[in-house]
Amino acid sequence: MSTLMHDVVVIGGGISGLMASIYLAGKGYKTALISRGDPVCCLSTGCIDVLSTALNPLDGFGDLSEMHPYHLVGKKGVEQACKLFKEIMSKSPIPYVGSIRKNREILTPIGTFKTTCLVPQTMAASLGCRDEYVHVISFTGIKDFYPSYITSRLSNTGFSLYDAGVSSTLAIAARFEEKGFAADFATWITGLELPPGKVALPAVLGVNNPVAIMEEISSRINREVFEIPTLPPSIPGLRLFRALKAAFQDLGGDVFWGMPISSVERHGHIIEAVTLATSARATRVQGKAFILATGSFVSGGLFATRDSVYETVFGIPVHVPGARKDWFWNDFFTAGHPIEEAGIEVDSSFRPKQTTLENLFVCGSILARSEVMKNHCGHGLALATGLKAAKVCERKLT
Amino acid sequence: MSIKTDVIIIGGGATGCGIARDLALRGVHHYLIEKGDFASGATGACHGLLHSGGRYVVNDPEAAHECITENTILRKIAQKCVETTGGLFVRLPGDSKRYRDRFLKGCDEVGIETSVLSPSKALDLVPNLNPAMEEAVMVPDCSIDPFRLCMLNAYTSRHRGGNILTHHEVIEIIKEKGVCVGVKARERLTAQIKEIRARIIINATGAWGDKLARLGGSEVPMTLSKGSLIISNHRLTNMVINRLRVPSDGDIIVPNEAVCLAGTTSITVQDPDNLEIDPAEVDLVSTQAEQMIPSFGTTRLIRAYTGVRPLLKASGTDGRSISRGFKIIDHENGMFSILGGKLTTYRLMAEKMVDVIMEKFALRTTCRTAELPLEGQDELSGYPLSKRLSNMDDIVCECELVPRRIVEQAINTMGTHYVGDIQHRTRLGMGPCQGGFCTYRALGIMQELGKVSPDLSLKILSEFLQRRFKGIRPALWGDQLREEQLVEYIYLGILNMENA
Amino acid sequence: MTFEHCVRCTICVENCPVYKVEPRFPGPKQSGPDAQRFRLDGEKSVDQWVKYCSQCRRCQIACPYGVDVAEIILKAQLKYGTEHISPFTAHLFANAYHLNALGSTFAPLANKAASFKAAKAVLNLLGISREPDLPEFRFFNMERGRRRKGKGRKVAFFYGCHLNFNRPDIGWKIRDMLVAMGCRVVMPRQTCCGLPALGNGDLDMAKKYAQKNASVLTSFINKGFDVLYACTSCGLTLIQDYPGILEAPGGKKIAENTYNVNEFLHSLLQDDKENRPLGRLEKRIAYHIPCHLRALGIGYPAAKIFEQIEGLECFVLDDNCCGLAGTYGFKKRNQDIAHKLGEIASIPIRALNADAVVADCGACRMQLGHYTGLSAMDPAEIIAEAMANSINNKKKSGHGIKRLFQKTPY
Repeated sequence: MSTLMHDVVVIGGGISGLMASIYLAGKGYKTALISRGDPVCCLSTGCIDVLSTALNPLDGFGDLSEMHPYHLVGKKGVEQACKLFKEIMSKSPIPYVGSIRKNREILTPIGTFKTTCLVPQTMAASLGCRDEYVHVISFTGIKDFYPSYITSRLSNTGFSLYDAGVSSTLAIAARFEEKGFAADFATWITGLELPPGKVALPAVLGVNNPVAIMEEISSRINREVFEIPTLPPSIPGLRLFRALKAAFQDLGGDVFWGMPISSVERHGHIIEAVTLATSARATRVQGKAFILATGSFVSGGLFATRDSVYETVFGIPVHVPGARKDWFWNDFFTAGHPIEEAGIEVDSSFRPKQTTLENLFVCGSILARSEVMKNHCGHGLALATGLKAAKVCERKLT
Repeated sequence: MSIKTDVIIIGGGATGCGIARDLALRGVHHYLIEKGDFASGATGACHGLLHSGGRYVVNDPEAAHECITENTILRKIAQKCVETTGGLFVRLPGDSKRYRDRFLKGCDEVGIETSVLSPSKALDLVPNLNPAMEEAVMVPDCSIDPFRLCMLNAYTSRHRGGNILTHHEVIEIIKEKGVCVGVKARERLTAQIKEIRARIIINATGAWGDKLARLGGSEVPMTLSKGSLIISNHRLTNMVINRLRVPSDGDIIVPNEAVCLAGTTSITVQDPDNLEIDPAEVDLVSTQAEQMIPSFGTTRLIRAYTGVRPLLKASGTDGRSISRGFKIIDHENGMFSILGGKLTTYRLMAEKMVDVIMEKFALRTTCRTAELPLEGQDELSGYPLSKRLSNMDDIVCECELVPRRIVEQAINTMGTHYVGDIQHRTRLGMGPCQGGFCTYRALGIMQELGKVSPDLSLKILSEFLQRRFKGIRPALWGDQLREEQLVEYIYLGILNMENA
Repeated sequence: MTFEHCVRCTICVENCPVYKVEPRFPGPKQSGPDAQRFRLDGEKSVDQWVKYCSQCRRCQIACPYGVDVAEIILKAQLKYGTEHISPFTAHLFANAYHLNALGSTFAPLANKAASFKAAKAVLNLLGISREPDLPEFRFFNMERGRRRKGKGRKVAFFYGCHLNFNRPDIGWKIRDMLVAMGCRVVMPRQTCCGLPALGNGDLDMAKKYAQKNASVLTSFINKGFDVLYACTSCGLTLIQDYPGILEAPGGKKIAENTYNVNEFLHSLLQDDKENRPLGRLEKRIAYHIPCHLRALGIGYPAAKIFEQIEGLECFVLDDNCCGLAGTYGFKKRNQDIAHKLGEIASIPIRALNADAVVADCGACRMQLGHYTGLSAMDPAEIIAEAMANSINNKKKSGHGIKRLFQKTPY
C-alpha cells in the first residue's frame, strides 16, 4: 500500500470540491483532490446560477425554504464566494463577467432566456440581445444545435450555416484552434453583409482560448459575438472545469483521478484515511480533514435503491423525502421534484448532523434541501458552500 | 364534402391493419381510421411475443393450435419483423411436474415442436438463466415488432388503393334509417372534420370496442384487463423465456431489439384511457422475472408501460382465464365488431373478418395474406441486431443507432407531426436515455425539413417529455434515476423549458 | 456489465482525443456502452471503426459512474481482430519487441538506414507513417549492461522496450539513482510487457509475453523484491492487464508489488529528507502527463519530487493526449490523427516558453519532442540532475551519483 499524507482530502472534483480545494491550497495547505471521474459541471452551461427568482439574486433568499443550505452561508458568504470565483477565473483563459447584485439573461438553444448571474466572457454579449438583431450562425451537419428553434421564437433574428468540414461540437472547437480558421470564418461572416446587430453561435470557440478567438472574430467583423450553450457535450462546462482544475494544480494541489474510494479508515470520531481502489495495490490517502463534495445522483454522491437513498462514500445517513412513489410529481415540468431534497443534513459548521464525525465537512449539491432545479441555484450553491466549508475546515486545521 | 368507400375500418392495431391489407389484396376499396398512431392500443403495449402456442396448450388447445399455425406463417411472410429467437419454458423447483407432462402432451397434439433440455444445456443457450432450474423445454417462440408489423400491413393497403388516416378520431357514426352508413372523423392536429361513407363499418378498436359500438347504437360486452410490463436496459436473454406453470403474472420475458420486455400483470379496469402504472406492479413483475433470470432483480430498468387486453366478457372476473379466442359480431346495422384475439393470430382474425365482408358483398375471392410476404420489408435492417454496427455515420439516436436518413425518411414518407410516430417507426428514443437527447434533435430535423411549424415544436417537445416521463416514473431508481436527473438538468437547466 | 451504468452524459466524449480530430470514429460513448447493447454473442463483428480507438483510457478515467469504456472498446477490438484479417502493420507492431531487438542488434546501421528518405518511403508503403522519426536504437542496450548493482533495499527494475533498446542511458540513470538512495537494483530477464501485441489485436501473443515476465517477476517478488517500472504504459499493463485480461499467473501478486519508479523514489526521498539529496536546478519544464499515468490512479509522483527541487519551475499539463499512443501513431492510417493531436498537445507546452518538455513515457517524448522542438526528457533526467547538483554542492567524493554525468553507456 502506498500512503500519501495531506492536510485536507477533498472528495469530489466538481465546482464545490474545486472551490474548497483551491481555497485551501491557496492558503498553503497540502490538499488532495480525489474524484471518481469528471464532474457534472462539464455538462452544464458553464454559467453560475445563484438564485433566479429576483433581479438581485440575493433578494431571492426570502423565497427559499428555511432549511436551504444557502442560509448556512448567508448572503455575505455567497458574495465572497462569487468574488473569489471571479478572481480565480480572471487568471484563466476564460474570465467571468456579471455582478452578484444583478441577474442577467443568456439565450438558450431553444430560444428561451435563462436567468443566471455570472457568465463566461464569451457569453457576455448575450445580454440585451432581445433588443437587437441577432444573426445565429450554426454549422452544417451539427447534430445538437438547430438555429430554427431560436429564429422561430424570436422575431429580430436570422441564421446562416457555415461549413466547418466537421460536424461535432468538439471537432468544430478543435478547428477553431487551428491557425487561420477563425480568420476565414470571420471573412465569411463579413461576406454575409448582415444588418447591424450581434452574432451568436453555439459554444464552439475552442476549448483552450475561447476569449482570444472570440475577440479575433469580433474585431474582424466589427460586431459583438456571443456563444450559446449547447446540450452535452458542453464546451463551456468543460472549460470551466479545466480552468478550475488547472488553478488548483498550479497551487500545488494533487489530483487523484478516475478511481472510486474502496474503503474508509475511521478511528472514533476522526476519519484518518481513504483508500483508492486502483487496479491492485491500493493508494491510501491520509488527511487531517476531509471534505465531501460528491454531488447528487448524477454524479454518484447519492444512490437510490428501490426504496431508499444512500450516500456512496461514507455511508452517512441521508435525508430522504418519503417513499419512492413520493419522489416525483406526475408532471415532469413541476419545478423541483421532491427527490431533489435528498441529501446530507449538516450543522452550521457543515458537519453531517447524523454522525459524530469531527473532521468531515460536506458541501455542494449533496447537501439536503438544496433543490437545485427548483431554485436554479446549482453552481452558486456549490461555490458558496464549497468556500464556507473550506473556511470552517481551515479553522479546524489551525 | 363526403368521401365514399366500400369499407371503413376503425382501429389501426394489428387487427385493423391486417384487415386493411387483406381487403387491399382482394381489391376492395377501404379507409382505415385510427385516432392515434398505429398500434396505440394493446398491439403496441404487449410483449411483442410471436407465440408458439405453448402457453395455451394446457388450458386452450384450440388457441394454441391457431398460434402455431400463424407463428409458422408469420415467420415466413414477415421475416424482417420477426426475430427467430426461439423460446424456453423454464421449470423451477416447486413448479408442477404434472403441468409439465400435460404441457408436453398438449404441444405434441397441437403440433408444436418441443425439445427438452437439461439445465446445463439451457444455460449454454441462455447463460443468465437461474441455475437452480429443473429443466427447460425449447419451443419456436419468436420476438416480433408490433409497430413494424402494423406499418407493413398498412403499406400494402396504401400501395393498392387503400387509405390510411392516422391521428383521426371517429366522433360520430352516421346512421340513416337505423343503418350505419358512415363516420365523422376529426383530425387531431387541425380539428378538421372528415365525413366518410361506406357500405360496411368494422369496429376493430380493441379495448375501445364497446365505446365505439355505442356510437353506432350497439353494445359489446367486454372485460378490460390491464397488463403492465417493464423494460430492461439491455438484453439479458436472446431467447424468449416462459415459466413452465399455469399461466400467471409476470412469467414471460421477451428479447426485443436491444432490450428485454418482462411482464405482465392482469388487473381489471373500467376505462381503457387514463391508465396508471402502480409501482407495486413493477415490483411484482420484477420479482417474477428475477426467478427465471436472477439478474433481472438488479438490472437497470429503463421504463414501464401498460396496455389493456380487450377480452370478450365472461362470467368470471379473472381476465386471465377468459379465452383469448376472437369473435366477430354482426350488429346487423351495417357495422361489425371484431374483438378478442391476440397479436399472434391477427392475420387469421383479419382473414375471417374479410371472408365475412366478402360474403356480404357476394364476392368470391381468396385470401392470400398467408402466402404473400409483407411488402416494403427491403428497407428494414432486420436482424441480427449486430448488423447495425457496421455504419455509424450521422446517427441521431445514439442509444438505438438510428441514422439521420432513416429519421428523415420516416418524417418525409409520413408527413408526420408527432415525435411518437417517428419513435414507433425508427425506435428513436426507445433506448436507455428514453429520448433525452435525440428528441431535441428529431424536432430540429423536422423543423429543418419544414414539417413542423415553429410554434408547435416546443409544444410537441413538452408533450413528448411529459408522456415519456409517465412511463419512466414507476421504475425510477438506481441508474435510471440518475439518467432522469441528467435529463432534467438538460431540459430544465440548460434549455430552460419550463419558461417556454 | 458496467455499461449498464452509462447515462449518456458524454463526459467520455468530451475527453476523447481521437473523436475531436477523426470524424470516422464515433467516440467512446457510441463505441463502448451504446454499441455494447447491440453486440450479441455469437454474431460476427462488423464494427471496423473500433480500430480508431487509441486506448488512451481517458474516457474511462473521466467516467463518473464506473463504466469501463476503454475496456469495452478493447474487447470489441480484440473480437474484431480475431474474426477478420488484420492489416500488415498490426502484425508488424504486435511484434514490436522483436523489431526493436533487431534494430538494436544492427544499431548504427539500422539508424542510418532509417534516416534515408528512401527507407521512409518504403516504410510508408508498408503502412508506417512518416512522422515522427523512428527512434534511434542502441547496440549497447540494457540487456547488455550490468545485471546487478548496489546494496540495500531490493528492487527489480522492469525497464521496458523503449529504455532497453532506445534510451538505455535513462535506464542506467534510474538504476544509479536508486543505488545512490540505498537500493540493490537487479535487472531481471524480461521481454516486452505485451501491450503492443494487445493493442494490435494479438491477445495470444500478449498472453505469452505476460506469462514469461510474470514467472520471472513473481520469483523476484517471492525473494522480497519490489518491482519498479519507469514506462507508464508498461506499468499499466503489469498492474491492470496482467491480473486482468492477460490472465498471467501471479498477476495479482505482481500488481500488488509493482511501483512506479518515481512513486518509489518519492518515498525514499521522504525517508531521506535530512540528507537533502535534491539540490538546486534552475529550469522551466512543461511536465506532460502520459495518459497511462493518469490511468494508474497514483497521482503524479514525479511532480511531487519536482516540487522539492529548488529553482525548478514545473507546469503540470494533463489535459491532452500526445497522439502517438505507443504504436498507434506510427501507423499510416492514424498518421493524420497523431499529427493533429501532436500539434494540439504542443500548443500549451510552447506557450509556457519551457526549456524542456518532460514525460514519463517514451512515446510522449518522441512525439512532443518532435512537435515542440524542445528537448524531451524523462523525469529521471531532471531528478538525477538535481541530485548531482546536491552532491556537487556538498563537494562529497566517492559518491556513486557523480557517475551520473559521465557518458559511459553502461
